Amino acid sequence: MYIYRLVFLLVLAIYIFSPNILSWWTGPGNAWYSPFIFWGCLIVIGFWLEWRRDPNEF
Amino acid sequence: MSFSAPSLLLASLLYLSLLFGIAWATERGTLLRRWVRHPLTYTLSLGVYAGIWAVYGAAGFAAESGFGYLAYYVGISGAFLLAPVLLNPILRISRAYQLTSLADLFAYRYRSQWAGTLVTLCSAAAIMSLLSMQIQAVSASASILAPDTSPTFISTLFCLIVVLFAVLFGARRQQTTGHHQGLVLAIAFDSLVKLAALLVLGGVILFTVFGGNAGLESWLASTSRPESPMAMNVNDGTWRALLLMSFAGALVLPHMYHMTFSESPSPRALGKASWGLPLYLFLLALPVPLIVWGGQALDVAGPPAFFSIGIAQALDSPMLTLLMYIAGLSAASGLMIVSTLALAGMVLNHIVLPLKTPNEQGDIYYWLQWVKRLLIAAILILALLFHEIVGQHLDLAILGAISLTGTLQLLPGVLGVIYWPEGNRRGLIAGLVTGLSIWVLTLVLPFSYPFDLLSLIGMPVTDGFGNWHVVTFTSLTANLAVFAVVSILSPAKPEEISAAQACSMGALSRPQRRELFASSSADFIHHLAEPLGMNVARREVQQALSQLKLPPSEFRPYQLRRLRDQVEANLSGLLGPSIASDIVKRHLGFKPMARGSTGQDIRYVERALGDYQSQLTGLAGELDNLRRHYRQTLQNLPIPACSIGDDGEILMWNHAMEALTSISADEVVGAKLLALPEHWHMLLDDFNKGSEPHRYKHRLDLRGKPHWLNLHKAALNGPEHPEDGSIILVEDQTETRLLEDELMHSERLASVGRLAAGVAHEIGNPVTGISSLAQNLKLETDNPEILDTANQIQQQTRRISTILQSLMNFSRTGNHAQATRYEPVSLHRCVEESINLLSLGDNSKGIQYENHCPQDLQILGDEQRLVQVFVNLLANARDASPEKGQIRVTGKRDSYSAIIEVIDEGTGIPADQQDHVFEPFFTTKASNKGTGLGLSLVYSIVEEHYGNIQVESPALSMSGKGTCMRLRLPAYEPDTDADSRPNERS
Repeated sequence: MYIYRLVFLLVLAIYIFSPNILSWWTGPGNAWYSPFIFWGCLIVIGFWLEWRRDPNEF
Repeated sequence: MSFSAPSLLLASLLYLSLLFGIAWATERGTLLRRWVRHPLTYTLSLGVYAGIWAVYGAAGFAAESGFGYLAYYVGISGAFLLAPVLLNPILRISRAYQLTSLADLFAYRYRSQWAGTLVTLCSAAAIMSLLSMQIQAVSASASILAPDTSPTFISTLFCLIVVLFAVLFGARRQQTTGHHQGLVLAIAFDSLVKLAALLVLGGVILFTVFGGNAGLESWLASTSRPESPMAMNVNDGTWRALLLMSFAGALVLPHMYHMTFSESPSPRALGKASWGLPLYLFLLALPVPLIVWGGQALDVAGPPAFFSIGIAQALDSPMLTLLMYIAGLSAASGLMIVSTLALAGMVLNHIVLPLKTPNEQGDIYYWLQWVKRLLIAAILILALLFHEIVGQHLDLAILGAISLTGTLQLLPGVLGVIYWPEGNRRGLIAGLVTGLSIWVLTLVLPFSYPFDLLSLIGMPVTDGFGNWHVVTFTSLTANLAVFAVVSILSPAKPEEISAAQACSMGALSRPQRRELFASSSADFIHHLAEPLGMNVARREVQQALSQLKLPPSEFRPYQLRRLRDQVEANLSGLLGPSIASDIVKRHLGFKPMARGSTGQDIRYVERALGDYQSQLTGLAGELDNLRRHYRQTLQNLPIPACSIGDDGEILMWNHAMEALTSISADEVVGAKLLALPEHWHMLLDDFNKGSEPHRYKHRLDLRGKPHWLNLHKAALNGPEHPEDGSIILVEDQTETRLLEDELMHSERLASVGRLAAGVAHEIGNPVTGISSLAQNLKLETDNPEILDTANQIQQQTRRISTILQSLMNFSRTGNHAQATRYEPVSLHRCVEESINLLSLGDNSKGIQYENHCPQDLQILGDEQRLVQVFVNLLANARDASPEKGQIRVTGKRDSYSAIIEVIDEGTGIPADQQDHVFEPFFTTKASNKGTGLGLSLVYSIVEEHYGNIQVESPALSMSGKGTCMRLRLPAYEPDTDADSRPNERS
């Protein structure tokens, strides 16, 4: 169950700091599409994790 | 630019007809059907989540809160990216137990009909706002395009079409898979239309309004509007609340639960959707800033939520305008259809069925279908009424917040299903009631225009929509706290603990091995016929049997327990888990357990552990490896073994047992001993019940041959394992028994041999006397008759002497102590001497002997005994050979062996006699010709010389005649051994 605790803590941390993360993405120096670039990167990571995942995992 | 009401109506009807066509063609099984189970279709169908937020709501929110609108997409994207730990467990449970809605899941996990009913009421209340939001969006957009049309007329017409669609394609559930294939493809098409329309609009704005990205960047830099760069106004509280609600939406929104879990074709499809849905929502979110800026750049009038239509109008493009209207229509219709359908299922299972069970004499499937249709219509009409009375006066954002905060109250319960087995029904209900009360008092009632319900109950009306996120967090925190505290303080029932274990991740339920009242699948049908009617009962039991790949008639207790679980799961999909559990508990009950019985379903646990194999890590993985090691040891044990529970159920049946009994483990494990064939059942049952721990040499006739078995028994229980039962070892002693018989036979023969030698010795003297007297008689008479008689007497006494000599020779064999006196012997010389001896006889029949043994082929041995061997072999060959036949003796060296073959041209030895020719007293000759001791003597002498002898017949393949006696003796090496070996004879 260690992995679930780790995931839970990570999700909680991201949730708490999400407004700050969004402010960073939409900072004055960034292009208007910056948040989408970060979001796109997350999707690519999600795709990669799903692609390499053992079908029996979890 | 505006449209006439009929043309707008026509466009709407055309689009909805297209949806009908897609769903109809899919249900009819045309080409479209192969797309239904494709992960892309599944992912697109999950796009129903966005609803009209995608087309209208997001732009309105973005105009006020900048990138805050992303929270609605990012939250659910996070939930899907975490699918392996969040959605897959729910999918596993909902597929295993056929839980088609969140209310089913709660009722199953918390073993409470009240939990299911409360979830249904909560979802129904929350969904009303969501449905109202969709109706409002469609009627408002239609009003913009056709200002003369009555919004009430549009709302009513739209609702009626949705009712028609949902009734036609939503209430029909495929019997085998439980999926609504036509509906899924239609909703996926809806999502595709929505996405295409928004991307087209975004592209048009970027390249037509701003002239490309450079133009947009320069407009953003030059504009003086404070909201234009969209970096402002991201309220932390609102963002967090929306993010949380969106995250929870993946689990708690009825339409999302329905699409994600009930319509999921496979866990693999959910895996693809884990990144596919975030990608889809990403593409939906991308044009939203462009729409806001496009609306601002073009100075579009009206609320920002409808900028998408306003921009298309400002660009004076009827096609684009119509496309955006259709996109809104498709988004709203998709969400309404799926939400209504999901809610109707919940209401049916958790409100209607507990109050009124269908008449068992009628067709239950038909009854359920019609009730569901009525419920769909009732829900949509109720939603229309709600919209007309309250919803149309509220902002889209308020409706959304009310709805999402209501469903958010279900999040603690859902997370408890997977991650908190200690949570119980009391905690859940208390938490839900607390959270929902706060939600109603602080968010629902303040907006209960025009009734102003709060003032009726004497509470101050709060004008606090700006702080809705505070209400969201307050209600959720109170819900969570009460759920946790009450769960910890109140005890849970055993059945709830069992369900919690079955649902929670990583935990295994350990059901007890109990016996059902129903003893066969036919009994199942008979017992279920009472609540369901004979036809439905038969159909459900047969379906469960085929799902489990069991034979049409099943008797094994373990398989019957599995069948019971499967029937319950299937009925749960039909009637909801509470009713299904009630029916199964009442009509497929277990017999009362014997006092102190603790039998657990070992096979169930093993099966579950087998399924978990690759998920066990660390200590659990190591323990599982040990378990597998010991299990394999037992399975591969070369002694047949089986273990039997205290109720006579077979728990283990190893490979050796399978080989001995010719009964596979799959057939009998989990069955009673009674299920075994008669002879095995009698033996094992009798021995298992008896008090004797061992039983020796029990005779059992298997496949027409007698077998002798030793049985040993030991009890399974011990200080660390209280479970009763026994393990039985079955040793097959048949071979030992046959060897013993053979040994006894040999002993008997040896006794006969010794007796014969004694008799021969005693008879020898009188025979010598008779021979001498006959000789004397010959000397004393000249009478030719008497002389002839004396000759015959002498001839017969010689024959008696020969027989006696053979008997005495035979009895002397087997004495290996003589081996120390062996000396090198030339086989050529032995054969030559034997031929000479035989040539002296008067019955040579003109036989021609050929000795091809090499001169230098030597062995260590007793020459006289070896001559005896060849004399016997050659004499047999001579007797078998025809007149003037040829007997050939060949010899050769084969590494360390000397191989000598005696080949004749006789009639040969039949195959069935070849195994017996070396047995004493076995002969094929006439009784006055042979004693049957010759070859057995040869065998003994060859064995004394550490060799062996084989018979090959026919030896001549051309004529099919002849016999070859092949001797293999250890060859002598003169160079190395000759000098060192003592010659005791000299």
